[in-house]
Amino acid sequence: MTVNQSTQTSKISVRPAKRFPTIERLKEGWSVYKENLIGKIGLTLLVIFALMAVCSFFPPLIDPMYHPMTGVDPLIAHSTGPSWRHWLGTDFIGRDILCQLLAGTRIAFMVGISAAFMSIFLGTVIGMIAGYAGKIADTLLMRLADMIMVMPTLLVVLILSSLFGQLNIWTIVLLIALFRWPGVSRVIRAQTLSLKERPFIEAAKVTGASHFRIIFRHIMPNVLPLSLLYMTFRVTSAIIIEAALAFLGFGDPSTVSWGMMLQWVWKTGHMFQAPYWLLPPGICISLLTLSFYMMGRAMEEVLDPRLRKEVAQE
Amino acid sequence: MALLTVENLSVGYHTRKGFLKSVQGVSFALAEGESLGLVGESGCGKTTIGMSLMGLLPENAAVTDGRILFEDKDLLKLSKKEIRQVRWKKIAMIFQAAMNALNPVHRVSEQIAEAILAHDTEISEETAMKQVESLFQVVGIPPDRMRDYPHQYSGGMKQRAIIAMALSCNPSLIIADEPTTALDVIVQDQILNAIKDFQKRLNVSLIFISHDIAVVADVCDSIGIMFAGQLVEYGNVKDVFDVPMHPYTRSLLASYLTLDKDIVQLDSKPGETPDLVNPTPGCRFSERCALADAACSLNTPEWIEISPTHKALCNQFK
Amino acid sequence: MKDPNTVIVQLESISKTFRTRTSFLKGAPKEVVALNRVSFEIFKGEIFGLVGESGSGKTTTGRLIVKLETPDSGKLLVDGNDITQIKGRNLKNFRKKVQMIFQDPYQSLNPYLSVYDSVSEPLIVHNVGDSATRKDRVRQSLKDVGLSPPDDFFYRYPHQMSGGQRQRVAIARAMVLKPEFVVADEPTSMLDASIAIHIFNILSELRKKLNVTFLFITHSLAAARYLCDRIGVIYKGEMVETGAAEDIIQNPQHPYTQALIQAHPRFRHGPILKKHIPRDQRF
Repeated sequence: MTVNQSTQTSKISVRPAKRFPTIERLKEGWSVYKENLIGKIGLTLLVIFALMAVCSFFPPLIDPMYHPMTGVDPLIAHSTGPSWRHWLGTDFIGRDILCQLLAGTRIAFMVGISAAFMSIFLGTVIGMIAGYAGKIADTLLMRLADMIMVMPTLLVVLILSSLFGQLNIWTIVLLIALFRWPGVSRVIRAQTLSLKERPFIEAAKVTGASHFRIIFRHIMPNVLPLSLLYMTFRVTSAIIIEAALAFLGFGDPSTVSWGMMLQWVWKTGHMFQAPYWLLPPGICISLLTLSFYMMGRAMEEVLDPRLRKEVAQE
Repeated sequence: MALLTVENLSVGYHTRKGFLKSVQGVSFALAEGESLGLVGESGCGKTTIGMSLMGLLPENAAVTDGRILFEDKDLLKLSKKEIRQVRWKKIAMIFQAAMNALNPVHRVSEQIAEAILAHDTEISEETAMKQVESLFQVVGIPPDRMRDYPHQYSGGMKQRAIIAMALSCNPSLIIADEPTTALDVIVQDQILNAIKDFQKRLNVSLIFISHDIAVVADVCDSIGIMFAGQLVEYGNVKDVFDVPMHPYTRSLLASYLTLDKDIVQLDSKPGETPDLVNPTPGCRFSERCALADAACSLNTPEWIEISPTHKALCNQFK
Repeated sequence: MKDPNTVIVQLESISKTFRTRTSFLKGAPKEVVALNRVSFEIFKGEIFGLVGESGSGKTTTGRLIVKLETPDSGKLLVDGNDITQIKGRNLKNFRKKVQMIFQDPYQSLNPYLSVYDSVSEPLIVHNVGDSATRKDRVRQSLKDVGLSPPDDFFYRYPHQMSGGQRQRVAIARAMVLKPEFVVADEPTSMLDASIAIHIFNILSELRKKLNVTFLFITHSLAAARYLCDRIGVIYKGEMVETGAAEDIIQNPQHPYTQALIQAHPRFRHGPILKKHIPRDQRF
């Protein structure tokens, strides 16, 4: 048995390996994503809102009367319709509605993304541990998740705030996160269960890696795309919950959010008299959540090759 | 008169990376009762040819050239309805790991009878069952196992049942795509014997697709070697094995390990499957070929006839 | 080099049964006896072929040796030490000496780790060397399996490589700690024949170069005969025959072995090849 060919080099005429193939992956993902019409619409909307959030810093710099909370127009002290001075009109004490809308965008992003991020973080870690450990840990964690999942988030937060008084925006974010992790953890746990049996995880075990290392070095990168996907869906629910809380009067009174704006419209009895005040925040809530949702759906196609339209065969 | 003539068939797939030219200019003919083996490594296009013959190409596939003449009709030009009439009645297929194709909630004999009845509305259920009985005899399943469910069958028996299903409508051509790859050696041997047996008895033509050259050598009369979408050598099994001409055939034969043959070290370089989106106009094997010269990668290789029953696609033998 | 007098791995009456969990309604849980009192030895420096069909227990044997499973009864000895029940620190040290190459190269590499990450992982886990030394060792390991120049492969990802290349990386990963014993579980069954030869040659060279002992698990007697010094034939969880590879092929004693040899597809319906092994290579 001759062995002279064993170490023959593998000549591959491929361009040299890139140092950051994550960029390659992103590029490939992008090319799939951009073919999805829904994704494109979602992304466009998102960009518009992002611009709005950025622009929210400018109006107060132009003139202090444009400050969303404290900027009162010296000439107007009641709700007026759109004009050249105030493109969307003013609220009941003469504050500019457009500025409020822009500031609300900032809050929506902050709340949405922070709450989503925290709940994903919790959900992913717990899901991975439950899936990997199995047995008692799995049972305990999943029963905990079940219990939290069945609790009506909004109701519980309302009760808590009525007990403890007005809640600060960050407390609201934390509470949303604490109530929303179970959904993610189920999915991540399922993914972990299937990954656990894969040969590359067994290879890591045979190498001698500790459980901690296997979870965070080997399993986590494989579930992260799923986590990020779920984050987009979490953002939608976070924004809606915050808006609902604010509308019902349990929000943070020192922050101007869209829900807060709706509360003011309602409380000051302008619901049917000032459409220029009522409609913008409502439409914004719907559109922003819709845009995140659309992006999530498009990302699903990127992440799960089976959903894609083309299949290359032998 | 050939039962099946494939003329210059070219098939490709629309993929994200471009149009993958999976099969290019493949031609061969099959007489009644003849068996042809299509051998090649993964990605060579052999399964695509099988799918084209059955009209089972996926959505993103496109036939860009050629004809498939079966009983004087071009299969590629038939409507969906007409293909359905040809499929299974005239041409049947045995897929890879086909044992998973059996419905676990119905009895095996019932499933086969159903296939018979679906294609022949005239006969009665009883007659159909009788046919199933004789089919089981042909493929070697004991008659007392007829009323069993699939999960009660072993892997080998399931494969026999699949073969029985393929034979049920008396096709004149059977396409077997890696029918024994998922089976153990001893079972594989039995199934191959069963295939050889029914093929001779029923005079059915057979196209046997496999990556295992030893298995094909065992079962088939003729053999076609495929590489990168092209047929590179074609002829009688005996001729091709005795005097392999194409360098790829030679390297394939050399790398085969069986109990009566060792691996022979050849000069071929380990290479990757050539790019099928933008294939070179010259010989696709030239990169890996020990005999290749500079002209080989530029000039289209031509068929050289070594004998009326043996030809190879190579410019080196002109 | 080869030392027929030193036993490196020994299985003594190993049994393993798998129980499938069934639901409440289906009655008694099903049991599958994977291994039934299996005993055999592997000598230092040899390539031992474990040949069997699916369900024979060959893969379970390999998994027991690398401690992915624990036997229900019997003893497992490596280098004379009873490792049947080891845990913790002892287990981790054991893993430095015994490694595994998996069957499916498309699944045995973490898709999110680069070649360098995957191959250096064992070094990191066992705290070997610093960043520079590790790079060198990974380089050497990649060179040993024929992936040259190694630096070109460092930052490649599995999906950018062919099956054959991936399997080479898996072998590099298994060898980077310079283990004493490696289980190769059907390393070529998912690869084309022409790629398989290269893998066989790599294993053979590694045995010579690093003096490592291999357990080569396969369903192909021909492959075992080509690569291995000694062969064990396993059927339905029991070892039916062991001996020098050529002896088993030429003079099979057990009816199952005989049936296996008969059933192997032969090229030209030719007689079984008689290999002449020179004196100094005979085991």
